[in-house]
This record gives sequence, C-alpha cells and structure tokens, in this order.
Amino acid sequence: MDQLLQALVSGLLLGGFYAVMVLGFSVIWGVMGVINLAHGEFLMIGAYMAWGLFRFFGMDPFASLVLILPSMFLVGYLLQIILINRIVERPHLMTLLVTFGVSIALANLFKIQFTSDPRNVAVAYNGSVQLAGVTFPIVKTIIFGVALLIMVCLHLFLQRTRLGKSIRAAAQNKTAARIVGVDINRVYAITAGICIALTAAAGAMLSPTQAIFPFMGPPFTLKAVTITALGGLGRIPGALMGGMVLGVTEIFVSTYVPGIGTNLGVATSFILLVLILVVRPQGLMGGLRPIDAEAE
Amino acid sequence: MRNILSQLSLLLIASLLLTACALAPPAPVDEPAAAAPSADEEKIIYLGAAVSETGKFSREGKDTRQGYGLWLDWVNDEYGGIKVGDDRYKVELIMYDDEGDPDTAARLVEKLINEDRVDFLLGPYSSFLTQSASAIAEKYDKIMIEGNGAAEPLFERGFQNLFAVLTPAGNYTRSALQLLAGKGAETVVIAYEDTAFPTSVANGAQHWAAEYGLEVLGVETYPVNVADVSGIMSKFKDLDPDIFVGGGHFNDAVLFIRAAKELDFNPKAMVITVGPSNPKLIEEVGVDTEYVIGPTQWEASMSYADDYFGTAAEYAARYEDLWGEPPTYQAAESTATALALHIAIEQAASLDTDAVRAALRGLDVVTFYGPINFDEKGRNAGKPMGAIQIQDGEILVVAPSNAAVAELNYPAPPWKDR
Repeated sequence: MDQLLQALVSGLLLGGFYAVMVLGFSVIWGVMGVINLAHGEFLMIGAYMAWGLFRFFGMDPFASLVLILPSMFLVGYLLQIILINRIVERPHLMTLLVTFGVSIALANLFKIQFTSDPRNVAVAYNGSVQLAGVTFPIVKTIIFGVALLIMVCLHLFLQRTRLGKSIRAAAQNKTAARIVGVDINRVYAITAGICIALTAAAGAMLSPTQAIFPFMGPPFTLKAVTITALGGLGRIPGALMGGMVLGVTEIFVSTYVPGIGTNLGVATSFILLVLILVVRPQGLMGGLRPIDAEAE
Repeated sequence: MRNILSQLSLLLIASLLLTACALAPPAPVDEPAAAAPSADEEKIIYLGAAVSETGKFSREGKDTRQGYGLWLDWVNDEYGGIKVGDDRYKVELIMYDDEGDPDTAARLVEKLINEDRVDFLLGPYSSFLTQSASAIAEKYDKIMIEGNGAAEPLFERGFQNLFAVLTPAGNYTRSALQLLAGKGAETVVIAYEDTAFPTSVANGAQHWAAEYGLEVLGVETYPVNVADVSGIMSKFKDLDPDIFVGGGHFNDAVLFIRAAKELDFNPKAMVITVGPSNPKLIEEVGVDTEYVIGPTQWEASMSYADDYFGTAAEYAARYEDLWGEPPTYQAAESTATALALHIAIEQAASLDTDAVRAALRGLDVVTFYGPINFDEKGRNAGKPMGAIQIQDGEILVVAPSNAAVAELNYPAPPWKDR
C-alpha cells in the first residue's frame, strides 16, 4: 500500500514537471502550427541561467524565475519577430529546418561559452519530508506547486484577458482573426515570448535535480512531442493530463515490473500514444484544434 | 520600419547560418603544434580518431582529446618524434567529432581510413562508440588502440586489430565490493543503463558479489538519457540493501545521488561508475557526494612510473600545466593509449600493420598509467582496478591496498544525520 502511494506521488510529481515542461511546446504548436525543435535548448538555457544566478549571485533557482521569465519572454518575442514570423505560414518543412538550425546553433554556442562540463545547482533543501508514510522530495514538490500555479495563471490569461482571447482566436481561425482586426504577427510574438519564458522556467526548476550540459535538450523535445500528442495541442488541461499520464506510467512500470527499470515506462507511453492516435486522434482532451486538421 | 526589420532579420539568419557552418561540420582538429609542414621532407605518421566534441559524451570526449593532445605535444616537441629504425617520425593526429552517435563514428572512421589515409587509429570515448568504430577498423584491417571502451563484448568478437589499455568493465567494481564485503556488508542492489559499458559493469558486479558472498537483492536497468530514477530508487529503498551499485555515466551519478537523498534511501555505501572519480562532481553536486565510492582506472596518487612521463604525479602536473585542469582517469588512459602505440611502433621498428600488431601482442611494459600487457583478445587484463571514496571533498584512493592513501569510511551515515 505504501509502495503504491509512493509510486503515485512520485509519478504525479514527475507528471507535474512534464506538464509545465511541455506547455510552451504545445501552445506554440497549437497556435502557430510550428513544431519547435529547439524546445529542449530553451529549457537548457533556462537551466543555465538558474545555475549562473545561483553560482555567482547565490540566488535560489525558484527565486530566479522572477528574472528568467521576463528576460526569456523578450528573447522569445524577438526571435519570433525576427525569424519565426517569416516562416510561420510557409510549408512545415521550413519551420522544422529553421528551428532545427536554432537548436544546433544554441547548443554549440553554449558549449563554446560554458564548455560541456556538467553543472548542477546544489540547493540546501534538497532533502525530503515524510507525510503519512509517503516520502515527498522537497524540490520536486516545490516544482509541482510552481507548475500548477503557472498553469492556472496561463489558463486564466488565455480565458479571461483580451490578449489571451486574441491568441485563442489566432489559433482557431487565422483569417477570421485578421478580419476582426487582430494583429496576428504581434499575437504570435507574444505567444512565443510566453512559451519560451515558460520553457526556460521549467529548465530553471529542473536545475537542482539533474546535471545541466549544452546537449541536454533533444530528449526533452522528444518527450514534449509525446506528451503533446497524448494531451492535445495547446490546451492546458491537456498538457497536465498528458504529463501526468506519462509521469505515472513511467514510475509505475519502473516500480512494479522487476528488472526493467524505467525502460518499459517509455515504451508503454509510446504504446499509449499509438493507441490514442488510433482511438482519439484529437488527443485525450481535444485541443485548440485537432492535430493535422489543416496541415497548412 | 519593415525594411529595417527585414534587413536585420536577414543579417541574423546569415549570422546564424555562419555559426552553424562554423560549428556543424566536424573540422579536423590539429592539437598543439602539429601543423608544421616544413620544406625539407619531414617524415610523418598520421593517426586518426573520432572523439565526441558535442553530444552526450562531450565532457568525457574532451578528456580523451586532451589526453591524446598531451602525448602529441610531448612526442613532437619534447621527445623529438617516434623512432622507427634510424628515422624520427613526427606525428600528426586528425580528430573529428562523432557527436556521440555510433553511426557518425563509423562513418568518420571510414573517412579517416579512406580519405585521410591514416596509419593507425586511436579509439573514441565510450564502449558504445568504440563498438561501431572498431568494427570499421577491423573491416579495413587497421589497428585501433583505445583506452575508453571497457565493455567485455567488445573483445568477444574475435577482432585482430582492437587493443585496449584499460581494465575491462567486468572488473570495475571488484576491488570496491571486496573491500566492502571485508567491512561486513552483506547485501547489494544494482541499477545500470542498458548500454554496452554499464551492462558489463553490472554483470561483473553480480559476479564479484557472488564471489565475495554478497546477496544481490535487486537489479534494475534504465534507458540512455534518463531524466528521473525515482522509481528505481524507491523500489530499492524498500529492499534496504547495504550497498548500492550504479553503472552509468556522469549525469547518472548526479541523478542517483539526488534521488537517494530526496527519497531518504540510505544504503551504507554507494558505488557509482564514472562520476565520482571526476572532481567536477564534487564541485557541482557539493557535500551530498561525501562517502560515495567510485571505481577508478588511475589516480595521480598511484605509484606507477615510466621513462616517458615519469611518475603518475609528474604526469598529472604536466597535464595541469598544459590544459589548466587536473587529469581525470579518462584523460590518463587516453595518453596511455597513444603511448602504448608509440612504444609498439618503436619496438617493431616499422610502420607495417602486421609488425606493429605483433609488437602490441608482445608488449609488456609498466607506464605511468600502470602495467600494459595485452591478452589474446586485446584486453589489458593484468591491470588492477582501483577504488576511490569522496572524503571531505577530496577524491582519495581506498583500494587496492598498495595504492590506498586513505581508509574506507563505512558505513555512511543516513542522510538526515549528515
């Protein structure tokens, strides 16, 4: 029983991180139809920023979000205006090429700047607390809390504010949004800013739990694709759901299937993905729009 | 406004492309002072290697490159070139970036053989990449000597051209487990990445555990690029073992230590490969690395010496002088790799592949890195493996007893009492 509860808690905590990690990727895809192959690299940048602020200014990685979010918003905004807006309405291959190029350039720039030495943020409170017989890792619990907070805020922003509504409008029907006077390019730039800021925040929160190095990005991009397909595009409940499913599956399989470790977890979530694509191609929770409804 | 923007963006794209061009294709790397084509016909031996500069093994690849680079620098500038009969040959080393990808490594080795026409090959970093790179070397009948691929299956393929100066992976945990069994440990759990090297380490650990009377309570695997090992660790926590053995590379060590502390999993000893012997782990992870034990191929405090680099400590000083950081064992074994080839060429007094291969087979020397004596499979089976423990932020050798500089601290206190 204890083991079951522990596995559930670990899985949900991992899922919470996955959910916030995937948000930026999912919303960019949902709103602009751009598959951001440099997603993992922005996560890596966030992790490096948190590490730098911790190492040189003694700043806590969660406190440093206050600096990381606005500065990465700016990066995302500019990147969109200067680069991505030019290819957004071109064939998919163009966006793949450009974002792939950005990912290679970023990883290598960071390698030149910071070398490939692995880094880690050694926060003092990385222990655990016992609650009702279950161990709660402190850092991961905080990540979970912040992730939920971020998701609620983003959800409210998209549902309640004028800007949020225009983002959703742009996602649902670009032409109609233009007709009613939405400045699509600006909306895209703000969307990209928010998404890249969120991705970097996820990276910053990850920094105390694992090694940071310039080439850590691609596995996260891959995982983001899986979760997005599980949860549906651009929907926050979908991202949460997809993240939770993957997190809990991974932990349960590694806890209950002997000798396999986490291997089968990844395999199982891919089997889930295939099943979902067959049964519910729009994702578990629907989405801003169904995957591939309008490939262009 | 629009115009300025579009020009700006063109500029950005151009510069991005330029950076990509400058970075993406693996440019040949000439390490210090190698590129000096003089007018009078200089005799040159060409060596080639595909070693990770980017990708998962970027850090360890750097150690490997620097290890090779130190030997290259020394052999050309200080030693005056390799003696072949009465001639002195300068050495040129061509290195490419394999990006941590076995297919790329294979392709680059093929290029080194066919286009660059190298005389001998040095190995990449990791068993994973050595596996594919050495297959190409065998196909073209080129000697590949390596110091960073320890997995046993590498040497079970009947290859004639693969030689490794390092202790095979199956023996990695031997001295640590022997020492721990002597201290009263009784049970062990093992977690390892499901690639060639960690698998060999884990198989070896099970073998030696049985040998020294330790009971194996659980064995788990995980995939490459794992981001979370909580599932495995919480399962192990319920088994409450004396020893935890983790087989993987650098990042896995971070994950194991973090997860153990987070879940309050308290084995009396943690034995983890690759990470602990690297000073960077202490630097980045901090005090949580205390009491962690790691196998080591070589440490600067060991008592080996040769006529080329002097003692192990003198080698370390030379390395730090050149590269500005202390050598890891991965760097030392890379230098030893090149040195073994060097000695074999001098003994063969020829650059002929068959002659050098025969010389390598018969090689029996002691270097700053330890004894080198290849068995019929190309392994350096005679060299013992050491074990280190992190004590007060320092990496101290605790086994084998003739190289130990500190006593093993056992058992490690639970996390909450530290």
